[in-house]
Amino acid sequence: MDRNQQRPRSSILDSLGEELIGILTPVSICMFTVVLLVCLLNSDPSSSSSFSSIATAAYSETDSDSPWDKLLGAFLNSLVFVAAITVATFLLVLLFYLRCVTFLKLYMGFSALVVLANLGGEISILLIDRFRFPIDSLTFSILLFNFSVVGVFAVFMSRFSILITQGYLVVIGVLVAYFFTMLPEWTTWVLLVALALYDLAAVLLPVGPLRLLVEMAISRDEDIPALVYEARPVIRDDSRLVQRRVWREQRSNVNDDDVENNVVRAEEEEEQRSEEISVPLIDSSSSSSSRPETFLEGIGLGASGAIKLGLGDFIFYSVLVGRAAMYDLMTVYACYLAIIAGLGVTLMLLSVYQKALPALPVSIMLGVVFYFLARLFLEVFVVQCSSNLVMF
Amino acid sequence: MEASRSDESNLSPNRDQRSNLNPAHNSMISSGQVWPTIDGPLGLTEEASVDYARRFYKFGFALLPWLWAVNCFYFWPVLRHSRAFPQIRNYVVRSAIGFSVFTALLSAWALTFSIGGEELFGPVWDKLVMYNVADRLGLAGLA
Repeated sequence: MDRNQQRPRSSILDSLGEELIGILTPVSICMFTVVLLVCLLNSDPSSSSSFSSIATAAYSETDSDSPWDKLLGAFLNSLVFVAAITVATFLLVLLFYLRCVTFLKLYMGFSALVVLANLGGEISILLIDRFRFPIDSLTFSILLFNFSVVGVFAVFMSRFSILITQGYLVVIGVLVAYFFTMLPEWTTWVLLVALALYDLAAVLLPVGPLRLLVEMAISRDEDIPALVYEARPVIRDDSRLVQRRVWREQRSNVNDDDVENNVVRAEEEEEQRSEEISVPLIDSSSSSSSRPETFLEGIGLGASGAIKLGLGDFIFYSVLVGRAAMYDLMTVYACYLAIIAGLGVTLMLLSVYQKALPALPVSIMLGVVFYFLARLFLEVFVVQCSSNLVMF
Repeated sequence: MEASRSDESNLSPNRDQRSNLNPAHNSMISSGQVWPTIDGPLGLTEEASVDYARRFYKFGFALLPWLWAVNCFYFWPVLRHSRAFPQIRNYVVRSAIGFSVFTALLSAWALTFSIGGEELFGPVWDKLVMYNVADRLGLAGLA
């Protein structure tokens, strides 16, 4: 008789697709936008040497160096960068331990403002310059001001429209990723691999800063004040709908808390009885390294069971794809598919292990491997086939 | 079964007479709800919304029409169901009016500037247009 009913119980498969789409869509939008920006704005390859940041502090690549020099320089750069990230993350852990949460939130808002106003303004000016768009400075400054201030509200305030917050986080990811694609080529690739390894170490080792951060957050039942993308919680439309709040801080309405906790706990028990792989309410927020702007990487489950992905992951996936776009669109397709596959694997591991996982390693490794394979082998094949009118 | 009438004590967000809510448990679960925010049950409750709507409205006066637009977007159900939330509706409608007025003025100026071009403004156009200003101030370089 169960067969006769349309859906006797909702299984994880009903909501799995929706939850996956909820994470894959913003990642894809971020990557697509960065590729678009790279294609539009990078018509001359010689301008890439003017970009200097902490990631090129040890060595700035010039065209005349030998490959060995470039590789060595890239290693030095990545070492410096990863060391800076480690220091920053430990600082974050220390501040979180000392409960300076307001300071961290202020810093988060400040960094969002800097990214949106400064980097956003620069990229808009580059676009205006490229297309000779006749906008005047007054209108431009008003628009930029509006955009950045509302972005700071979206990031800073804990209760805000989900869609707008997600949109602004994706925009911040796009802006930072575009700037990271301006790094020299060898440095970019070695840096990506180094960060993937660092992420693996920082999340999984017991002494890793991100693991400490996540454990502290879990033990205190707080959110880590950092830039984290949280997918909209999926509401399954059967009778066991759960009121899942996206945010956990509800100090103001105590009544709601009690009611909601009772409801939510009841739901959880019911789900566990029916032996589904439901998404439990582990509030293991995402874990990872933080840029000086407190971006996090890594993937975890929010208190509401929604999937959380750190903004650093968005950024570095997009950097990989953006750098692939600087070579050719064929490598972009290869790297995009590799990254999405890696993200799917990571999500599956997340549902198996039920704790915070690093989201960078699998995707970045697959992406880098596929980039070099596509560049070295696939391109020759495709070009030969096309020029002989066999395929493509 | 009392209909959830008061604004304060529970999560039920509306006074819709067709919902027979047991306010403590099923209020979030049954359909027929009207939540004040566009996020529905994931968004704010009604009494918090009033505070938010008022703050967005007041902050929008600092040359932030986009904040007014976000206010209207976020409380879109308030605009659609015109009788449900009188307090919030007050602020949201005023935000919408403010946004429209500001956008009309700003777009009038921007369109005049871009379409009029040099014929209308003379040499001042070159001084005001963004790419020249960026070149002059050195903003177009990176990092």
